[in-house]
Amino acid sequence: MRFCPFAERTLLVLKAKGIRHEVININLKNKPEWFFKKNPLGLVPVLENSKGQLIYESAITCEYLDEAYSGKKLLPEDPYEKACQKMIFELFSKVPSLVTSFLRRQNKEDCSGLKEELHREFSKLEEVLTNKKTAFFGGNSLSMIDYLIWPWLERLEALELNECVDHTPKLKLWMAAMRKDPTVSAVLIDVKAHKGFIDLYLQNSPEACDYGL
Amino acid sequence: MRFCPYSHRTRLVLKAKGIRHEIVNINLRNKPEWYYTKHPLGQIPVLETSQCQLIYESVIACEYLDDAYPGRKLFPCDPYERARQKMLSELFCKVPQLTKECLVALRCRRECTDLKVALRQEFCNLEEILDYQNTTFFGGDCISMIDYLLWPWFERLDVYGIADCVSHTPALRLWIASMKQDPTVCALLTDKSIFQGYLSLYFQNNPNAFDFGLC
Repeated sequence: MRFCPFAERTLLVLKAKGIRHEVININLKNKPEWFFKKNPLGLVPVLENSKGQLIYESAITCEYLDEAYSGKKLLPEDPYEKACQKMIFELFSKVPSLVTSFLRRQNKEDCSGLKEELHREFSKLEEVLTNKKTAFFGGNSLSMIDYLIWPWLERLEALELNECVDHTPKLKLWMAAMRKDPTVSAVLIDVKAHKGFIDLYLQNSPEACDYGL
Repeated sequence: MRFCPYSHRTRLVLKAKGIRHEIVNINLRNKPEWYYTKHPLGQIPVLETSQCQLIYESVIACEYLDDAYPGRKLFPCDPYERARQKMLSELFCKVPQLTKECLVALRCRRECTDLKVALRQEFCNLEEILDYQNTTFFGGDCISMIDYLLWPWFERLDVYGIADCVSHTPALRLWIASMKQDPTVCALLTDKSIFQGYLSLYFQNNPNAFDFGLC
């Protein structure tokens, strides 16, 4: 699904590694029967390789692609550095559900609590960048962990949540640096399209997933 | 902490790979100040290498050990098989919380029928995998990482009082029996009476619970 942040992770890795692939988007409000044969839970993304092997859970697909395909390695070779990327990933783990909760909030009052929680989670990420003194989460070059985190930070503007990074200057700098990355730019969806999708999605419109086509 | 299932995972991997290590147990009800320098939230397990590098989250620690140390590899080499083991790990992810909730409910003499139904459903999902694969273990015919990652909770079913939750899952029961024959699993098996002793003290809020069974 074109607007899914989890699927975006996999797209970023496919692009970053130059892996030839075909994208099949499905309408999450009207899932085709055949999709459940790919993932019994009907969730996106699912990766299917030329041998018909199926892999799901976005982070697992990303790691699989990095291991299975040659070329630029996105995860570090060093076991400890690799573990560090996974620990940062855990640190980030509450963000997706917070953003979803924010999206689905019933009234404005729930907002400030959610925004504060998001702000707290972003502060943890700020601390990592401060301690590491690097531009990216894995060092001075962009690597796997940056791609895994990016899709949610990309959506902040469309969700009117930019204030959540007000007190986290390094994270803001990181966001700017990410936008300059060729892979990120290639996959980026503009704010207007994100907003268009979100509006239709919140109205439960079956057309949401096709916005802009 | 000697009875923690998450730490148990890490100990299984250390033993399976023959990695020399020292265990420092901490009292979870009375955590020493220094422990927060190892883990900001004071959670266990934490792995500290000889270079003072700290790794936490049990699954991350287990993967690190498999990557960093030579010898027997517990994760498969093939990227797809590795991904399969990680997907299985995801399939299992509701079990730890459910088993803990069952334990607490039973010990507090509360109703836990719904919890047990939910747990059985999770076990059915795992049963389906073993049936479909037609293998003894979750990663194939030999024991591997995924089996060690799941094991600690199955070892505890009996002492938690929920062994009947595998009554409808024969392949899973066979897996449990096969696991108990593994030298690594055996070496780390905790004596049932010691575990019961710990649980009794724990639920009485006794701060010495974690030390039960030590001389």
